[in-house]
Amino acid sequence: MKNIYKLILKNLVLVLSLLLITTSCSDWIDHDLNVDPDSPANVPMDLLLPSVQQAMGYHLVGNNTVRTNNIWMQQFDGVDRQSYTEARYQLTPADVNNVWNSIYAEIFINLHIIIEKGSVEGLKSPNFVGVAQVLEATTLGIATDLFGDMPYTEALDGSNNVLKPKYDTQQVVYDNIFMLLDNAVTNLNNTSNVLNVKGDVIYNSNISKWKKAANSIKARHLLQLSKKNGNAAYTAALAAVANGFTSNDDDFLVPWEVANKNPINQFMTQRGDIRMGATLVNMLASNSDPRLPFYAEKDGDGNYVGSIPGSQNASASKPGKYNAAETSKSILMSYSELKFIEAECRFVLGLAGAQEAYEAAVAASVLKVTGAANTAWLASNINGVPVTLKNIIEQKYIAGYSTNQPYADYRRTGFPALSVAIGAVIPAIPTRFPYAQDELDYNTANVPSVTISEKVWWNQ
Amino acid sequence: MKTKLNGFLTLLLALMVQITFAQEKTVTGKVSDASGPLPGVTVIIKGTKTGTQTDFDGKYSIRANTGAVLQFSFVGMKTVSQAVGASNIMNIVMQEDAESLEEVVITAVGISRKEKELGYSVQTVKAEDIRTKPNADVVNSLAGATSGVSITSSAGDAGASTFMTIRGSASITGNNQPLFIVNGLPIITGGGYSGVAGVNTSSRSIDINPDDIASVSVLKGGAATALYGVRAANGAVIITTKSGKNLTARKIEFNSSVGFSQVSQLPAMQKKYAQGNNGVWAGGSAFSYGPKISSLEYDGDETYKWDPNGRLVATGAGNGTPAKYYDPYEFFQTGATTNNGLSISNGNENGSFFFSLSNLDQEGIVPNNQFGRTTVRLNATTKLSEMINFGVDMAYTNSRAVQIQKGSNVSGVMLGLLRTATTFDNSAGYEFPDGTQRNYRNGGGYDNPYWVSNNVKFEEDVNRFTGGVNFNIKFSDFFNIGYNGGVDWYSRRYIDQYKIGSRGNPLGYLGEFQSYSRTFNSDLLFNFQKEFSEDFNAKLTLGNNFYGSFSKNLFGDADGLSIPDFYQLSNSATNTTSSGESQQRTMAVFADLQLAYKNMLFLGLTGRNDWATTMPEANDDAFYPSASLGFIFTEIEGLKNNSILSFGKLRGSVARTANIAGPYNTSNYYNATSTADGWTSGVNFPYAGQTGFQVTSGLGNPDLKHETQDSWEIGTDLRFFKNRFGVDFTYFSNKNTDLLMSVPIAPSSGFTSVFLNAASMESKGIEISVTASPVKNENFTWDILANFTKFTNKVTSLAEGVDNISLPGGFTVPQVRAVVGREYGSVFGEDWYRDENGRVLINDDPTDSYRDGYPMTNSKQGLVAIGDTKPDWTANMTNTFNYKNLSFSFLIDVKSGGMMYNGTAFAMNYFGTSERTGNREVYYTPQGTIDFSTTPAGNIKVFDGVYGHVDANGNGVSSGVTNVTPIVEDQRWFQGQGSNFGGGPSVAAMEDASWVRLRDISISYTFPKISETIKDLNIYVSGKNLWIDTPYSGVDPETSLSGAGNGQGMDYFNSPGSKSYVVGVKMTF
Repeated sequence: MKNIYKLILKNLVLVLSLLLITTSCSDWIDHDLNVDPDSPANVPMDLLLPSVQQAMGYHLVGNNTVRTNNIWMQQFDGVDRQSYTEARYQLTPADVNNVWNSIYAEIFINLHIIIEKGSVEGLKSPNFVGVAQVLEATTLGIATDLFGDMPYTEALDGSNNVLKPKYDTQQVVYDNIFMLLDNAVTNLNNTSNVLNVKGDVIYNSNISKWKKAANSIKARHLLQLSKKNGNAAYTAALAAVANGFTSNDDDFLVPWEVANKNPINQFMTQRGDIRMGATLVNMLASNSDPRLPFYAEKDGDGNYVGSIPGSQNASASKPGKYNAAETSKSILMSYSELKFIEAECRFVLGLAGAQEAYEAAVAASVLKVTGAANTAWLASNINGVPVTLKNIIEQKYIAGYSTNQPYADYRRTGFPALSVAIGAVIPAIPTRFPYAQDELDYNTANVPSVTISEKVWWNQ
Repeated sequence: MKTKLNGFLTLLLALMVQITFAQEKTVTGKVSDASGPLPGVTVIIKGTKTGTQTDFDGKYSIRANTGAVLQFSFVGMKTVSQAVGASNIMNIVMQEDAESLEEVVITAVGISRKEKELGYSVQTVKAEDIRTKPNADVVNSLAGATSGVSITSSAGDAGASTFMTIRGSASITGNNQPLFIVNGLPIITGGGYSGVAGVNTSSRSIDINPDDIASVSVLKGGAATALYGVRAANGAVIITTKSGKNLTARKIEFNSSVGFSQVSQLPAMQKKYAQGNNGVWAGGSAFSYGPKISSLEYDGDETYKWDPNGRLVATGAGNGTPAKYYDPYEFFQTGATTNNGLSISNGNENGSFFFSLSNLDQEGIVPNNQFGRTTVRLNATTKLSEMINFGVDMAYTNSRAVQIQKGSNVSGVMLGLLRTATTFDNSAGYEFPDGTQRNYRNGGGYDNPYWVSNNVKFEEDVNRFTGGVNFNIKFSDFFNIGYNGGVDWYSRRYIDQYKIGSRGNPLGYLGEFQSYSRTFNSDLLFNFQKEFSEDFNAKLTLGNNFYGSFSKNLFGDADGLSIPDFYQLSNSATNTTSSGESQQRTMAVFADLQLAYKNMLFLGLTGRNDWATTMPEANDDAFYPSASLGFIFTEIEGLKNNSILSFGKLRGSVARTANIAGPYNTSNYYNATSTADGWTSGVNFPYAGQTGFQVTSGLGNPDLKHETQDSWEIGTDLRFFKNRFGVDFTYFSNKNTDLLMSVPIAPSSGFTSVFLNAASMESKGIEISVTASPVKNENFTWDILANFTKFTNKVTSLAEGVDNISLPGGFTVPQVRAVVGREYGSVFGEDWYRDENGRVLINDDPTDSYRDGYPMTNSKQGLVAIGDTKPDWTANMTNTFNYKNLSFSFLIDVKSGGMMYNGTAFAMNYFGTSERTGNREVYYTPQGTIDFSTTPAGNIKVFDGVYGHVDANGNGVSSGVTNVTPIVEDQRWFQGQGSNFGGGPSVAAMEDASWVRLRDISISYTFPKISETIKDLNIYVSGKNLWIDTPYSGVDPETSLSGAGNGQGMDYFNSPGSKSYVVGVKMTF
């Protein structure tokens, strides 16, 4: 009898267990659990836009590339550790990896997503697309001026398994910059938008300012082809200038705040390995330039002192509140730069107005940097001094402190004249950046083999 | 029934005999074994203290009552018990004790099996082997105890993490640490990865009270772990805790120990030159490239706030107080540890009970570094009926730590100590009355280490509960059902605080983190066993497993504190919060069939099918089989009872095991935006009053498959001379294919990685364990256990077109990588320019910018492999001596080969503090050559290499002529390519990290029964890492910058290792 109970119990337990296993199986292995609760699968354009703008401010015109090429331009000097290495013209593929990654995997890819989302039938938002195109052209321009040939036509298609995009020549990249900007203007002129531009931390959705920015960036890069296109470059640039920025209020700037501090400010508090470069400080000091106290801090002895390139003068002045305060804005492009472009075009083409444009360019910079017009100083130091290419580019160099433009202009024009840093490991100032380590490693067949002493296409 | 009756009759008979013949007489006899008389055999009357020993001829004589039971015992022999009968002569033949072979080991899913039956290698570590070791984390106590296992303690900090791998690594970027099972339940033991900065956090294996452990089985190969399916690829550590089973009376045990620890090896410093630059003293200078200390004295200026003695001036120009060198290592303290434990256990045929309570408090060698742990464990079983056994097992742990900043971090204590200029005394105050910091850079640079240890704190607190229920329903000898289900639940929180004025967070900082993790595991087993004949029996287990894990965390931080020293998230204008959640489940059915023939042939077959939520729905399951065979050939007639070869077994196994993807890898997502460039901490959202998202830089993959590990092993277990000498040899081969990894891709594709079944790697090699008992008699035994391991662990392929990928734990330069065709874990960095034979090019071109006579960094080729971190082989040997009640043992641990990046020394070169920079004195002739008449001869060296130069294209050109140019390593060299910051290549900092160490040594004495209350009293003294011999010039090379992570082999201002001593007592009541 007991055995029968045992048998029944045994079979009951077995059957129940098996039932439990089979029924709970499908519940237990619930694939809906494999949807990440922390990350959305889709986000609107207005949350992508500020992300891109922040990344551009941080990587393109914040601390990273700007620090390196401003050291080379002797506006900064690297006095310690890696920055001292850069000061002696050593820059490795690994050093530029992070900025390269951000350009493609943060800036471009998210801009492409915005352009895609803004182009969907029924949700067409051409203004959003236009803003994205301006940002893409701006990034592409700054990047190609540093790196030369870049992947573009095959790039950004990783989700379609294009994992090793080919490199386009800089000429093709430049064609795309202009095409993007032309399309941007068309899109920005379109008034039928399902979604209006939102989330814009640069121009607060002011579309007319975006149009001016498109034309200004176009002028910058048309001029950059002066060695290639000669007078045609100046003529085209001048045409673009006409529709560009009209005052300092139009400046193309990325803001910073206490929670997200200016990148140079972060570098100075967290690393601190750069000081003001002697070349820039001396130029400013010799002219009693009112911008000096804004560009630089006083050193320990109360003076403005620049470090002679490669001299490791750690007691020299640190960068000042213009570009290194917590909330100093990073500059994608300024009205002042546009006026310098205009001055150069008019000067080279022999057109009237070069002098006026030059004086307006310096005045705009002085006003922007110091917050005051400083008309007396301008009158006695700038105004009326006959304009020359050297004057234009040297003043543009001063005004362009803490941007990538002095390095672009130096390679194009040879101004200002710079001597080689003490302890330089190569005989001359590098003429480009190396390609990123990740490209060397994972796109080996396509990435061109270059040294940093080779010239980019527009400089050849 | 029959058995019961027999037992009863025997008892009755015994009683009758006892009553009838209870009278004392002298019993004599001779004890022998197969080879002749046995001297030294203990003969006692069971249940009394009366006893004697056999003499040289094996003879004994004892007075005993008729019916009393004489017990004959001898080491290595089976104990014989025999009742005194009518005869006055009792001759005994003892059999050798094959008990070690009969030893039962716990294998996968809690199935216990005799070790001799196994077709794969398992090594067991006993409570006694770990009891006296002064380690908070039991994983450290397994170091050197077995073969095939690699354990790295990341630092000597109290509570520092451990990194353990078995038979190398099986995954490229995933987890490579083994599965930990405690009493049948998998527990979470990860954690402890800290990155190159921050603090050394603990591995969660530290939550186990080592004193609770009865035994640890290390399952190494695929066949051993195949029943764990998708969690089996890295081996398993099976921990069984103490219980009241096998007890017949109550037992109260009390443990107490006090320990001390000190820093072990430290990098050597130069002590000749003062703070300054280019031979000139400069207060606040980053460097120690000043004048000779012997040429300086203080000016006594009390207004100079950075040094109480004033500035340094030339001897004669000051107050006569000579400059001195300050030893930075005085910063370290002697750490103290107290550990107390109490356990109460009892048991009888109806159940068992075990309760323990322990408390550990540790103070580290870095001031204010602490670790503490309190544990409670309860394990109880009871018989509910003849059929049903029910048990519970519960453990609570509170682990708490205060950790101090380390590594590549302006607050790192070693970084601050070792960069501090020679003539600056960090200990002369770290804070001015106004709260600002006093440091050697006059307020800039790095934190004063004393500031860090007092003002920068990382406090961690873990509360953890693991527990489960188990029951067994025994329907018959043929069939029973077993169940074991439980949870591992813990909350972890930490507070990361920086006082205002800290160099890394000048405005002050507070980070608060809380997490909640839970795993659930349920194993249901149907066990069948049948003896078909005397020679053939079979056991079958059918099982089902459910497993789930869930974790959720919440993080908030406040950057920039408004009120000093008030650490609250609201005390800041800028605080951010974030949260994370992760969940996954698996399910499996499995079968385990064991067939045994004649105690000679043992065949094991297992199969398991796994389902996982983290895999794509269409492809969420996989099947994993294994087969193993054990063949005891000494059971063959003719080989049986051989006097030389006492036992011989051949074993072999094949298995397929696996690994699954982590959650959320099957599709693409967007992330809250943050970005950084490696130079600064970066920016994030909210930003400008907005939230921001960006697409994840890693591409998901809806076509994932399971990872597969195909493994096989063969081995022999040979024991000679009555088991006095044994050799266990294993050859293993693991082939891992379809390894899931985030494959790095060209960023120009718009993404930096894609998740793929891309890689394959293999691990194959040998493990040899030797046991020997050179001396073995009643009073004195000497036992040796030695292990040798040699294997290769090569990456055989990565994704198409990818020949290397970076592992976490390195820098931008150098990195630790997995490289196709190389051992897993290669250091990648820049190299010198070399000729085609690999000889370094030494510059001979006076016109270029490189210095003549010095090597040149090859930046053009980018990063290349510059050294493997995996050792060539490892070995260890434990010698144990027992003399009566005194036991002495020591463990020598050897690691041969394996490179380490000594970034510490490389960076110290730049700052002029490394010992190497002490030989900088050089004088030049007017022609610019070294003036040999004045330059100290010892400073002159010639770099190994051949002359060459770098051409205009950046390529090295060799002249083929061996370099003979004498040079001196001066400041210019060290601040150039003689250091990382000067642009030197990482290859110059690669060092051999081999070692021979006295890992453990202990002396223990057990007092004979002191009283009825104190049944057992044991005192011991032990030491750890008391002696290390290594060519590595930095800290103890058993170190890991980033803690428990795959990227090992990095030393960049790592916290030093420690040596420790402990005195302890164990009392049994």
